[in-house]
Amino acid sequence: MKGISQRSGDIHLLLQGNEAIARGALEAGVVFCAGYPGNPSSEIIETLAEAARDLPIYVEWSVNEKVAVEAATAASFTGCRAIVVMKQNGINVALDFLTNLTLSGTRAGLVLVTCDDPSGISSTNEEDARIFARIIDAPLLEPTTPQEALVMTTWAFELSEKIENIVMIRSVSRLSHTRTRVLINELPSFDPRPHFDTGLSFHTFPVVAKHKMRHEKLDLARVLFEKSSFNHYEGAVRPELLIVSSGCAWTYVTEAVDILELSDRVGTLKLGTTWPLPKGFLKKHLAKCDRVLFVEDVDPFLEDNVKSFGADICMEIGPKEYMGKASGHTPSCGEQTPASILRVLGRLFSVDWQDHAFMDKVSPIVKDIAPPREFGLCPGCPHRGSYYAIKTALAWDDRDGFVSGDIGCYTMGIWPTGFNQVKSVHAMGSGLGLASGYGKLDRFGFHQPVVTVCGDSTFFHAAIPALINAKFNGADVLLLILDNSATAMTGFQPHPGTGKTAMGTKTDPVDMEALCRSLKVDVEVADPYDMLSTAKIIYRNMQQKGPRVLILRRKCALVEGRERGFPYKMRVDQDLCLGEECGCDRYCLRIFRCPGLVWDKHAQKAKIDGVICVGCGICSDICPQRAILREERE
Amino acid sequence: MVSRVLRGRLLLDHIGPTYTEVLKRQMESSASGAQDRLINKVIDKGLCVACGACVGLCPYFHYFDGKVLAMARCSRDTGRCVEICPLIDRGDIALDKMTSDVMNTPEIGPYKKIIMACSLDKEINEKAQYGGVVSSLITYALGKDIIRSAILTDAGDGYAPAGTVARSRSDVIGCAGSRYTASAGLEALNMAIKTGEQKLGIVGLPCQMEALTRMRHMGSDGENRANSIVLKIGLFCTWALDYRSLFADLRNRGLREPILKCDIPPPPAGVFQICTRDGWREFPLNDIRPFIKKGCSLCQDMTAEWSDISVGAIEGIDEWNTVVLRTDLGLRLMEQATEDGVVKVDDLPKKNLMHLAEASFNKKERGRLTRGEIR
Ligand SMILES: Cc1cc2nc3c(=O)[nH]c(=O)nc-3n(C[C@H](O)[C@H](O)[C@H](O)COP(=O)(O)OP(=O)(O)OC[C@H]3O[C@@H](n4cnc5c(N)ncnc54)[C@H](O)[C@@H]3O)c2cc1C
Ligand code: SF4
Ligand code: SF4
Repeated sequence: MKGISQRSGDIHLLLQGNEAIARGALEAGVVFCAGYPGNPSSEIIETLAEAARDLPIYVEWSVNEKVAVEAATAASFTGCRAIVVMKQNGINVALDFLTNLTLSGTRAGLVLVTCDDPSGISSTNEEDARIFARIIDAPLLEPTTPQEALVMTTWAFELSEKIENIVMIRSVSRLSHTRTRVLINELPSFDPRPHFDTGLSFHTFPVVAKHKMRHEKLDLARVLFEKSSFNHYEGAVRPELLIVSSGCAWTYVTEAVDILELSDRVGTLKLGTTWPLPKGFLKKHLAKCDRVLFVEDVDPFLEDNVKSFGADICMEIGPKEYMGKASGHTPSCGEQTPASILRVLGRLFSVDWQDHAFMDKVSPIVKDIAPPREFGLCPGCPHRGSYYAIKTALAWDDRDGFVSGDIGCYTMGIWPTGFNQVKSVHAMGSGLGLASGYGKLDRFGFHQPVVTVCGDSTFFHAAIPALINAKFNGADVLLLILDNSATAMTGFQPHPGTGKTAMGTKTDPVDMEALCRSLKVDVEVADPYDMLSTAKIIYRNMQQKGPRVLILRRKCALVEGRERGFPYKMRVDQDLCLGEECGCDRYCLRIFRCPGLVWDKHAQKAKIDGVICVGCGICSDICPQRAILREERE
Repeated sequence: MVSRVLRGRLLLDHIGPTYTEVLKRQMESSASGAQDRLINKVIDKGLCVACGACVGLCPYFHYFDGKVLAMARCSRDTGRCVEICPLIDRGDIALDKMTSDVMNTPEIGPYKKIIMACSLDKEINEKAQYGGVVSSLITYALGKDIIRSAILTDAGDGYAPAGTVARSRSDVIGCAGSRYTASAGLEALNMAIKTGEQKLGIVGLPCQMEALTRMRHMGSDGENRANSIVLKIGLFCTWALDYRSLFADLRNRGLREPILKCDIPPPPAGVFQICTRDGWREFPLNDIRPFIKKGCSLCQDMTAEWSDISVGAIEGIDEWNTVVLRTDLGLRLMEQATEDGVVKVDDLPKKNLMHLAEASFNKKERGRLTRGEIR
C-alpha cells in the first residue's frame, strides 16, 4: 500500500489540501465518509473512495448534502467516526438538519468539511459558510496549509468527541487545490464496532435546555482553543499594526509582510480556531496596539466577531481603530490575493511596492497574447445541441418564452455558448421550483411559455420535490432533463442514475423515466444531437398543459471521447461556404459558436480546428450551405 | 408632521429608475443592420404577411407552424431580406410592368385577355377550390415540360400549411384547394433554388408575385434566381388570415383538425366555411376578421398583377374561374391547354368583369388609405 492509504507515518507526501484533509480523517480512524460533489470539495470524497480499496472504510456519494450529513450522523450515533464533505452551497441544503443536530449532540467524532469558493470561480455564489458555525453553535476550524489541514482534521474528531457535537472545518479553493509536501502520521487500526446505545437518545427536547447545553459545549471548546497551537502571534512586541487573519488569507499576509519588509513594524495574529473565539488569547494580543487590520476570505466573519468582543472589553484594552471590510480597507467581496493585501499595506505604510517599469513593459504584451475568452461548452457537448433545440423551439413558438435554469455545466446557458437562453439560475432544483410557480400564473394572464432544464444529478438532488409540487398543484411545466449520464461539472462522480457507487460497486440505477411515470407525468426521450427533431418535440410539448418531462439524453462529450470516441472527421468545403456573405454571415461562428469552428482569415471562410473539434458532427446540420462535411473516421 | 410612511404610504414613487433599468440604459445599443431594418419595420410591427420570400435565403428566418420568425440576429449592413420583402417601401426600383400590346387598367393592371375557364379533369374538379384552372394548368405545364417542378402550398401536415415542391400530377392534386391562411410558400422556392432546380412554375398570392418581381432586382444573385422561374400563376386575394390566432380561436370553438376544405362564398353570404371530418361549419366573417393579417390592409393588389396568369373566383358560377391572361406566355399556355382539352373557356360576363374591377379598385383605395395611416 502506498500513497494516501499507507499505514506507516513519518514520511512526506506531496498532497493537495483536499487529500491532506482526507488523510487527516483516516489518521483519526474515520470509517464512514459521505458527501455530495461540488467544487472545490470533490477530491476529499474521491480520495477517501480510493483509500476504501485498501482500508476497511465506507465511502458514499449521497444524493444531496442533507442526506449526506444524516447518513454520516448515523455512524456517529453508533460510535463510528464519520466525516461529511460539501461545498459552501451544500451547507444551505444541510442546514435544517444541522441546526437540530447541534441541539441533540453526537457521539463518535463527526466532522463537517465545507470547501468555500471565494470569487465563485465555479459556483453560483461566494457564500461564506463560516457564518453557519455561529448559527448552529458548532466549533469552527480554519486551516491555512495542507499540513495544517491534515492535523486539524485529525484533531477535529477528538474535539467532536470531547464536546459531543459536530465540528466544522472550512477550507477555500486555494487551500483545497494547493499541493505541498505534507508529513503524514501512522494510521490507527480500524476496528469499528457500531452499536446504537438504546440507553441514549438524540433529539432537541426540551429545546431551551438543549440550547443551553449547546452553549456549554461551545464554552468547552473555547477553553481548548485558548491553548491551541492553531493560533499564534508573530511580530514585534509593540507593533504599529496588528493583522488578524485566518485561512489562506494568512499566507498572503505573511507574504506581503515579507515583501514589504514590515516584520518589525506589524504583528500578525493567525487564528485557526475562529469560532468560538479564544477570547483570552485575543485580548492579550489586541492590547498590543491600537490599530487592527482584518484579512480574511469573503465575509467579515472574524472582523465582526472580534470587533464585537473588542467592544465588550474596551474599558480594559481601550479604543481601537479597526480596519477591514467595513472601513473599506479590504475589498468587501471576492477572493483575497497577495496583491490585494500588498495594496492595503502599501497604502497604510506608504510603500510603493509595484515595479512600474516592469508593469509598463509587460501589460501591453500580455494584452496581445491573452485574448478575451468567454465561458464555453466543450466541443461536442450535448448541451449545445439541447440549447440550440430549445432556442429554436422558443423562437418558433414566439410567445416570449424563456428557460428557467439550474446548476450544472448547463448553467452556461446564461451565456452566448448556450445562446443566452437561460434567464434564471439559483440553487439546485430551483429551476423546476420556479417553473412550478410560473406554471400557475396563467390565471393572472401570464402566457409566456417556460421551459426548465435540469441535469440528471441535479434532478435526483433536489428537483424531485419540485416535480411532485408541479404534479400536485397541476402546474404547467415542461422539464427538460439534460441527461448526460454524469455529474460532469464537478468531475464525473457517479449518481443514483449511473449504476455505480463512489466505491465502484454496481447498483441498480434509479430509472428517471419510471420515476416520472410513477407520478403519472408524461415522459418522452429525445436526442439533443438531432436538434431539429428535438426542437419539434419541445415545440409540441410547449403547446400542452400540465407537468411534462422530456429527457434529452446523450453522453457527456468528455465521457464519450474517452469511451468510444466520435464518429466523424469534419471538414468545411470552402467553395460552398458563404462566410460573411448574405445568406450566412458566419452563422456557425457567430451563432452556433462551437469552439471547433474557427475563421480562416486568409480565405475569409470558416474552417474546422482539427485539434479542438471532436467530430460530433452536429454543426453540419446548422450550416445553411451544408458546407460543413461529415466524413466517417477510419 | 406624521411621515408618509407612518401614514401607511410607501415612498416608491420617489426612488427613480430601478437598479436593472439603470444598467439597461447603459447597455442600450442601436440596431442598424439590414435584418434589423426588416425586423423593426415589418416583423416587430406585426406587418409581415408571411409570403416567405426571406425564408430560406439564410438561416436567420424560419417559417414554422404558420409564422415567419427571426431566429437570430444577422450583423450585415445590406441583405437580400430587406430587398425582397414586399412590405418594405421601395421607391428605388421601377418594378417592370408589362410589354406594350396590353390593356392596362388602373383596377386590374396589365392584361391581354380576361376570360372564364374551368378544368375538364374530373379528379381535379373534385378537389379544386373553384374551376380547378390553377391545378390543371400546372399539371399541364409539368406534362409538357414547360416547367419541371412547381412551388405550391400544401394542406399542412400536423402543422400549418406551407410551401412545397410538386413534381407530379398527384403532388399537384394534393395541393388543390385554397388555404386562407398566409403560408409562406416562397420558402419552398428558396429551398428549391438552393438544390439547383430550374424551370420552376409557381402559384402564389399577389404579395408573393410582387416579391418575385423584386427578386430580380435583389442582391448578387437576384437575376439568376428570377431566371429559374418560368411560369407565375397568381391567385386573386382580398386578404389572408393569421394561422396561429385563427386556429387557436377555432379550436376554442370546438373545431377539430384536420381541415379538409375552406371557402369564403362571395357577398352577401358573409361567412367563412370550414369542412372537417365532422362536416361543414360556418363562422360569421365578422368573427374571423380579427385574424386578418395586419399587413394585408396595406396591400393594393387584388388580382396578382405581377403574374403571367391570374386566377380567381366568379361570383355566382362556382365551378368556373375568372382568368386574367397577362403575358404572352400566359396567353399561349391557356390556348394550348384549351386546344389539348385540358380546360374549357368562355367569355366572362360583363357584370362579373365590372364587379371585379370594382372590388379591385376598392382594395387599392383601402390600401392607399391604410398605408397613409400606418406608415
Ligand atoms: C388566401 C387566399 C385568398 C383568396 N382570396 C380570393 C378573393 O378574395 N377573391 C377571389 O376571387 N379569389 C380568391 N382566392 C383565390 C381562390 O380561392 C382560388 O385559389 C382561385 O380561384 C383558384 O381556384 P382553382 O380552383 O383554380 O384552384 P385550385 O386548382 O384548387 O388550386 C389552388 C392553388 O392555390 C394554392 N394555394 C392554396 N392555398 C394557398 C395559400 N394560402 N397561399 C398561396 N397559394 C395557395 C395551392 O398551391 C393550389 O395550387 C384566394 C386564395 C387564397 C389562397
Ligand atoms: S461553414 Fe456554413 S455556417 Fe459556417 S460560415 Fe460557412 S456557410 Fe456559414
Ligand atoms: S463536429 Fe462541429 S459541433 Fe461537433 S465538435 Fe466539431 S466543430 Fe464542434
